Amino acid sequence: MIYDALIAPFIEFEFMRRALAAVVALSLGAAPIGVFLMLRRMSLVGDAMAHAILPGAAVGFLLSGLNLFAMTAGGLIAGFAVALLAGLVARTTDLKEDASLATFYLASLALGVTIVSVKGTNIDLLHVLFGNILAMDDQTLLVVAFNATLTLIVLAVIYRPLVIESVDPLFLRTVSRAGALAHLTFLALVVVNLVNGFQALGTLLAVGLMILPAGTARFWSRELTGMISIAVASAIISGYAGLVLSFQTRIPSGPAIILVSAGLYVVSILFGNVRGVVRQLFPAPHLEA
Amino acid sequence: MQAWRGLLVALAVSLGVSPAQAQTRLNVVASFSILGDFVKNVGGDRVAVTTLVGPDGDVHVYTPTPADVRKIADAKLLVINGFGLEGWLPRLLQAAGNRASIVTVTSGITPLKAGSDADPHAWQSVANAGKYVANIRDALIAADPPDADFFRQNAQAYLAKLDALDGEVRQALSRIPEGHRRVISTHDAFGYFAVRYGIQFIAPVGVSTEAEPSARDIAKIIAQVKAERIPAVFLERIGDPRLMQRISAETGARIGGTLYSDALTGEKGDAPTYIDMVRHNITTLTSALAN
Amino acid sequence: MSAQLQFRDVTLGYDRHPAVHHLSGEVATGALLAVVGPNGAGKSTLFRGVVGILKPLAGSILTGGVAARNIAYLPQSADIDRSFPISVFDFVGTGLWRQTGFFGGVGKEARASVAQALAAVGLSGFENRGIGTLSGGQMQRMLFARVLLQDARLIVLDEPFNAIDTKTSADLMALVERWHAEKRTVLAALHDMDLVRAHFPETLLLARGKVAWGATAEVLTSENLAEARRMCEAFDDSAAACVVDTDASKAA
Repeated sequence: MIYDALIAPFIEFEFMRRALAAVVALSLGAAPIGVFLMLRRMSLVGDAMAHAILPGAAVGFLLSGLNLFAMTAGGLIAGFAVALLAGLVARTTDLKEDASLATFYLASLALGVTIVSVKGTNIDLLHVLFGNILAMDDQTLLVVAFNATLTLIVLAVIYRPLVIESVDPLFLRTVSRAGALAHLTFLALVVVNLVNGFQALGTLLAVGLMILPAGTARFWSRELTGMISIAVASAIISGYAGLVLSFQTRIPSGPAIILVSAGLYVVSILFGNVRGVVRQLFPAPHLEA
Repeated sequence: MQAWRGLLVALAVSLGVSPAQAQTRLNVVASFSILGDFVKNVGGDRVAVTTLVGPDGDVHVYTPTPADVRKIADAKLLVINGFGLEGWLPRLLQAAGNRASIVTVTSGITPLKAGSDADPHAWQSVANAGKYVANIRDALIAADPPDADFFRQNAQAYLAKLDALDGEVRQALSRIPEGHRRVISTHDAFGYFAVRYGIQFIAPVGVSTEAEPSARDIAKIIAQVKAERIPAVFLERIGDPRLMQRISAETGARIGGTLYSDALTGEKGDAPTYIDMVRHNITTLTSALAN
Repeated sequence: MSAQLQFRDVTLGYDRHPAVHHLSGEVATGALLAVVGPNGAGKSTLFRGVVGILKPLAGSILTGGVAARNIAYLPQSADIDRSFPISVFDFVGTGLWRQTGFFGGVGKEARASVAQALAAVGLSGFENRGIGTLSGGQMQRMLFARVLLQDARLIVLDEPFNAIDTKTSADLMALVERWHAEKRTVLAALHDMDLVRAHFPETLLLARGKVAWGATAEVLTSENLAEARRMCEAFDDSAAACVVDTDASKAA
């Protein structure tokens, strides 16, 4: 019975195996990034980026029609541009990250809509750009896997300056330029993950698996590496359980995964070790020293 | 003296002729490309047709622009599909301060059901297309009575073409063996076609392009395709081809080609007119299913 | 002795209002300089200019060839994200960034240095505490420990003993004197005049402009202190453009 529900679907159907592989790869890349986004108070960046990439995709569409590669490349460029500009403005002016990003992504979105309208068709470009985890072909799987590997490597490289820059930005600014570089590299990583995630799996999954596991991890660990591990684990579990859920019921796959992830999040808010609601209401007795 | 008279006659003739030539064409707005095609065929050069959702556009999720408001404000007749296809239309009409008369071309057609809503793709049955044309003809006559005969003639000629097309489709499909008359497609737009011509369309997603499939839906389709040995899957102009490719890869069903359902293509595409569209679809279907 | 720092008629401020007005002078290499003055005198602003966070409105600050990585700064109200999940040990360890680089691991030697630095500021046993659990004074001492590890040539301390008790202040002052013995240049902004008189050979009395600068005993006289107190703290919204500047540009 349990075997039927939990294992059989993956043995029987290749699309399920591929979906599982994709969601694991996505978790490995997106969850750590999500933890940093959350700690730096940039959790809404994902949604903003989804709109910001439109002019790039539109230009790609203008130049090559409904060519996924061209549109993705365009989307990446637009995403980088917005992330870069927003990052620079936040660092050099009084405007903080959130306002800076909001203004740029809105401008970018308007530009994208204009470009599309000028061309005359109304194909929902973004809809075409956003994929579905149940439709993992070889190429897309490769992209997702490559993306995860790239993310983990780059993150390992910029880990220390990124951490320092996140906790004490002034410190790094006074001694080295590494802070700004790390920050911009991080933003670039966010864009790459998001665009690849959108293209392979759709907005909901790409952004959802970044932010929800990070939120969950906050309630179980007090230190960074612990948080990252828990976030990744939480994302993978959500992916697996969500796929099973989508297989047994009529819930679409993306929302199913995110619902499970949200469920884990709620459970964590209530029962998490670190400041969970139940812990706060019934604290353990205090220690001797 | 001769010269003067000649000049006067010429003047009189030109005065007499110019009003007729200066007679403005009837301004008609059609909601999307297929309806636009019908109106052009019935109205000929007596109508100036503009379409809101152009070639390759997605009429389910269209966002109107201010230019569209102007188009409607200038129109004498508005041709729409109905059956819930143009969800964006009521607000647009409100904004345009609707003065045009509206003809819903599906009036008189009994809709098929898609879930709890009506399936709007009635034009997929060529017989229904005939009713569309009849409704358009009557509306044009009402809006422009002097040209009634012209419209009737055009309509008759076009209806004859549609009749012939209907026969073509039946004949083509009869060449497909019974057991093969099943097809997988991305989007549930061929309900009427399926009913009229006896071919079964199975789709993993809902009627509009918004819905997303669950793993169970996909699994069911794959199981069905494998079990019943359905020969072909078809891609659609709108929607993600990768889903179909996945189903094809996992079931061994061929990718049959692209079917057009909701929009005509541009001039250089496969389906610039309705008749071309139906012909293209039927050729694609038969060549995939015949073996 | 060559100058470590040169203030060349420098004006620093916010929104065109000067917080430090036309300051000129030199800080010798290896100096131990106290910067004192009433609230709003411009001490923090001056330090921000020294470490390069704030660009001068006019004039310049020269750091005598000391690269940015050789400057250690202890800010007054640190812009530190207390909710970030990092331990005291790791936070202080970032002071070693020049040795470990950004990618190197923290080896045994480095770990020992960190432990030593923590002991020197009296925070032994705090290694695994999250920084969010520290009191104001403990935070201050943690930042001090980081400065210790940075091994800098120029050390800028903005009110380093603020939330700290007398005993610990004395311990930390001993560390400062050790830096002085190691020929590092130290600038410290302070409120405690007794501490200044006891430990700092050189003092700059700042009240937006220079009131007095030189040997501590000569600077901290009652006349000088009275003059400093007369400085007005608030910016003058109706102030005109500074006349000295326009004259200078006309002259040029």
